[in-house]
Amino acid sequence: MENNAILKTENLNLYYGGNHALVDITVGIRKNRVTALIGPSGCGKSTLLRCFNRLNDLIENVQVDGTILFNGRPITGNDMDVVDLRKRIGMVFQKPNPFPTSIYENVAYGPRVHGIRDQQRLNAIVERSLKDAALWGEVKDRLHASAMSLSGGQQQRLCIARTLAVEPEIILMDEPCSALDPIATARIENLIHALKKKYTVVIVTHNMQQAARVSDCTGFMYLGRLIEFGETGLIFESPRAELTNNYITGRFG
Amino acid sequence: MDSDSFQRSREPDIVHRAEMSDTPVQAHSVFSGLSLAAGYAHSPFQSGIAALRDPGRLRESAMKHLWFSTAIVSVLAILLIIVFLIIDAYPIFAAVGVYDFIAGRVWDPAGAAPAYGILPLIAGTLLVTFGAMVFAIPLGIGSAVFLAELAPPQVRAVAKPAIELLAGIPSVVYGFFGLIVLTNWLRITFDIASGETWLAASLLLGIMALPTIVSVSDDAIRAVPRSYREGSFAVGATHWQTIRSVVLPAAISGITAAIILGMGRAIGETMAVIMVAGNAAIIPDPITNALSPVRTLTGTLGIEMGEAAVGSAHYHALFGVAVVLLAITLAVNMCARMILQRIQERHEGAAGAGYGPIRAGIDLIRLYTPIFLLIVPSGLLAVAADLRTAALALAVVLGFFLLRERVSPKISQKIAFGLITSSALIVLLILGIILFDIISNGLPALSWEFLTEPPRNLGREGGIGPAILGTLYLIGGAILVALPIGIGAAIYLNEYTTEGRVTRTIRAGADLLNGTPSIVFGLFGFAFLVLFLNLGVSLLAGQITLGLMILPTIIRTTEEALKAIPDSLREGSLALGATRWQTISRVILPSAVPGILTGTILSIGRAAGETAPILFTAVVFSRRLLPTSVFEPVMALPYHLFILATNVPGAERNQYGTALVLLMLVVGVYLTAILIRNRYQKTVTW
Ligand SMILES: Nc1ncnc2c1ncn2[C@@H]1O[C@H](COP(=O)(O)OP(=O)(O)O)[C@@H](O)[C@H]1O
Ligand SMILES: [Mg+2]
Repeated sequence: MENNAILKTENLNLYYGGNHALVDITVGIRKNRVTALIGPSGCGKSTLLRCFNRLNDLIENVQVDGTILFNGRPITGNDMDVVDLRKRIGMVFQKPNPFPTSIYENVAYGPRVHGIRDQQRLNAIVERSLKDAALWGEVKDRLHASAMSLSGGQQQRLCIARTLAVEPEIILMDEPCSALDPIATARIENLIHALKKKYTVVIVTHNMQQAARVSDCTGFMYLGRLIEFGETGLIFESPRAELTNNYITGRFG
Repeated sequence: MDSDSFQRSREPDIVHRAEMSDTPVQAHSVFSGLSLAAGYAHSPFQSGIAALRDPGRLRESAMKHLWFSTAIVSVLAILLIIVFLIIDAYPIFAAVGVYDFIAGRVWDPAGAAPAYGILPLIAGTLLVTFGAMVFAIPLGIGSAVFLAELAPPQVRAVAKPAIELLAGIPSVVYGFFGLIVLTNWLRITFDIASGETWLAASLLLGIMALPTIVSVSDDAIRAVPRSYREGSFAVGATHWQTIRSVVLPAAISGITAAIILGMGRAIGETMAVIMVAGNAAIIPDPITNALSPVRTLTGTLGIEMGEAAVGSAHYHALFGVAVVLLAITLAVNMCARMILQRIQERHEGAAGAGYGPIRAGIDLIRLYTPIFLLIVPSGLLAVAADLRTAALALAVVLGFFLLRERVSPKISQKIAFGLITSSALIVLLILGIILFDIISNGLPALSWEFLTEPPRNLGREGGIGPAILGTLYLIGGAILVALPIGIGAAIYLNEYTTEGRVTRTIRAGADLLNGTPSIVFGLFGFAFLVLFLNLGVSLLAGQITLGLMILPTIIRTTEEALKAIPDSLREGSLALGATRWQTISRVILPSAVPGILTGTILSIGRAAGETAPILFTAVVFSRRLLPTSVFEPVMALPYHLFILATNVPGAERNQYGTALVLLMLVVGVYLTAILIRNRYQKTVTW
């Protein structure tokens, strides 16, 4: 299964100063699949996710060892063009973080920074992205209203649309539903299903049912280690590791 | 408190909780809710406190009233200032008419046919301020972006205090530097008869406004939520794109407030302007002639107040000038206040707002960017090389700006970051030049005699001993006046009330007082303390005037220190059954000491360097003996330097010596404050 991996890590270790946050992570993320990362909070899920688009670069005192391969090419080096990398690996955050501008401006932001200025093209991209994010119907009449006037679930879909607008290959999602109510959550889950056709999705989630519902593969992390990784069905039905079993059955601590 | 005492008494205690919500003091809303929740914990001493309840209550209410009375001092002060200025200005308004006074084109109060038209003075103030902003806005914002976004932590740790140090240099030292170095340089560069011009005043005021602009903008930029930055990076925007399109627009209100506050500083400045502006009461002809001398409202007060006979038309006209000056600065400061308040409201929740200001922000950024791109490099080159090279560079930058759509994001990032970094470098370079000039020329003058002897031969020889002591007396008295009142006011504002009309009024009073130009304090001190209260030109009058001037700083820094103390500490104490005053005096104030200390030290720095407030209230130029009582006048360092620099030819050596001593005094004081702040990781801005 690691052969058609679009994203691969080998013996990845990460330190926040003295805190060893990721320990020997070796994993392969398959193309056009949804991969879920689960585990108790503080186990390093977000940290791993942020390695993939080098967002950890923004944090001081972070040291990364090991390799991360994106389409077979290493991305950890200093010579890596992180701007290009982030264009190709998008991210949706735990708390919806639209810019305090209009709905339209939020979606058009990415294409604009990548040099698209033609108004027609921008309009088309905005429409397509909002449609792909299942938000178009709700906002098409008020594209120039403030993004802050949307509900939490709509804001999160707007952030997804903002990510889709630059047509990334991979979309990283860090607990995208944790701030949302069940209805908004269901919508985002449906959306993730649909996204799979065009994109590769890696999603961090706290919610095991959600992992079971949306993902094809699941990785279980604990204290910075990847304890188990495999087909979602197998992980949930017959986990090999004792820890995994305890976690998914709720016997933990 | 250890866990033991918690465990000993887990039972909810209804009596205790009732007592807490029943205290005579209206509890802070959040606070009382939380302390009710925390009511489960109580102390074994509780019964003892219940016995003391009644005398305790009495003391509590006495304390509250005491702090309230300190809190309204600043409101009373600003009201008194306004009333006294208007009373003394009224005769001229009545005689000349408000319109003719403001719109009259000739100011000649001492002529054969006196004319009292202040239009040239208003024009001077506005032009000088405008020029200062043209120079200070791009440099200030550039430096703030550098500090907040680009500087590695180690660089920031040095550069930020260094830029803030610019705020600590006394205005008379700036004026001295401007008079000796800047005007001379302009005279040679532009080949003009005198360098004392609008341009000189603007450059100098720009430098003086920089630290305010940098500090407040830096705070605004750093307050932009990290999630905005992450959202932008996550779609592959470069750092510069993120700064330009997301961070700066989101920080625009704070940056605008920073600019307005910087403007307020420039409008209210007196001594530095007097020393470099040339002070001819004319409107430049043509109006864009930056090499013309100008005279500002503040300059007029500083120059003429000492000459006008009390009660004459001239005297009243000067109070009229002060009224106009106060009106302008108060308006400017109210604008900044409103803007900052709006930001605070937005940060505190209301998700619906935000779009309008941000949209406007983006437009403003579009406006600022070209200014920035034009002025920084041209300024840099004008300093470094000749004007022709500067013009060439300007053309290149302009060309880049027009073609920027076609330049790749990475190259525009390089160029933008180059400009941003160079603006910070320019600011640091300016600081370096000023410090170097004064230190290298002042050191030879320093000697034990210089520091202890009285001046001889009009200050050309001898020392500055009495001036140093006089300044120390003035500072000491000012602190004695302002510290108890300021701390009391802050305690009242932060610990005894909920936000409401009363606190808003008190805060507004303190803010207005803070925005009042120091020369206006001087006039007020003269009219109220020297004449009305009949204190005469005396140490005491100077101490009180300076005390009122630094009061707002002490209130604000103390309040900030109090706010930084987590509510859990208060709850911890209250939950043990301590009264509010016990909580404040034993728990809150001790933890706030570093913050209060920082504020006090900053105020000392400000009081030590100020000239305008003591000009007419406390100082004399020369005096062999020290004052024997607070009712006698004193010598003071800044005033001594001012007179030496402007009225005593051939005192070069002692001028620099005095400037250096004053600088060391004030900078030493500021460095101490910065060290304390860094040590305790408090974020106090000034
Ligand atoms: N910016 C940071 N600086 C220092 N330590 C961090 C930082 N972010 C996360 N950590 C630490 O790294 C570990 C993993 O955190 P994280 O990846 O956020 O966990 P998760 O997303 O699984 O809850 C935790 O111990 C956390 O304290
Ligand atoms: Mg996380």
